[in-house]
Amino acid sequence: MEERQYDLIFICRPDTPEADVDKVIATLESTATEKGAKIESVAKWGRKRMAYRVQKLHEGYFVYMVIKTTHGEVVKELERRLKVADPVIKYLTVRLDEELKRQEKLKRHRERRAARRPRKVAAAPATPVAPIAPPSEQSAPTA
Amino acid sequence: MAEENAPMQQSHGPSSGGMRSSGPGGPGGPGGGRPGGPAKRGKRSFVRKKKVCRFCVDKADFIDYKKAEILAPFIQERGKILPRRMTGTCSRHQRWLTVAIKRAQNIALLPFAAEL
Repeated sequence: MEERQYDLIFICRPDTPEADVDKVIATLESTATEKGAKIESVAKWGRKRMAYRVQKLHEGYFVYMVIKTTHGEVVKELERRLKVADPVIKYLTVRLDEELKRQEKLKRHRERRAARRPRKVAAAPATPVAPIAPPSEQSAPTA
Repeated sequence: MAEENAPMQQSHGPSSGGMRSSGPGGPGGPGGGRPGGPAKRGKRSFVRKKKVCRFCVDKADFIDYKKAEILAPFIQERGKILPRRMTGTCSRHQRWLTVAIKRAQNIALLPFAAEL
């Protein structure tokens, strides 16, 4: 099975100490490695205002991580962990590899088109430039 | 200034000849076919500005749901997704955009429509 990439975001209560957040991240990391997944990156976005109230809270501590795996079941396990973790109030996992693949494809397509285009563009301005040049030369001697 | 005044006086001529209210509408219409006349009234012909898809301009291949500040202009205050006819987004990017907005809503980066 091909490798999949997931985005995992979870929100902790804003009053949780940093140590507890780290603990949650550590448990996720250990579970992931246990199941043969790789955590590419972890980013703490820190305390942010949420767009709506969650469990009567307006703010949350956001943590964002990227996971790469060949087994989809890892996500199930990670989500179960997040569900039972006390400080976590919300989480979201998004599979992104297909969209990234599409992005790559479009990018390559665009680059190929861009590589082909300059010839036409270069040819077009060459003609208008030429007629403009002679009058300026004519005006220069008269002045 | 002088060029603008001249047509104004011409248009006043026929209007004073006929009725004051119908003057600008009837004879004034064809007479004032110049761009200056209708634009001042702001009624007849107004040129609709062509809206361009912002993502096409930026050549976006992927709309990131994590960047709420990019998605924010495409939702209403209350969280409704704005239609294409309002924002001018092309159909392909609107499709990606709705997915991104819905994801952002799920993780509390953007509000839901029914909220509060």
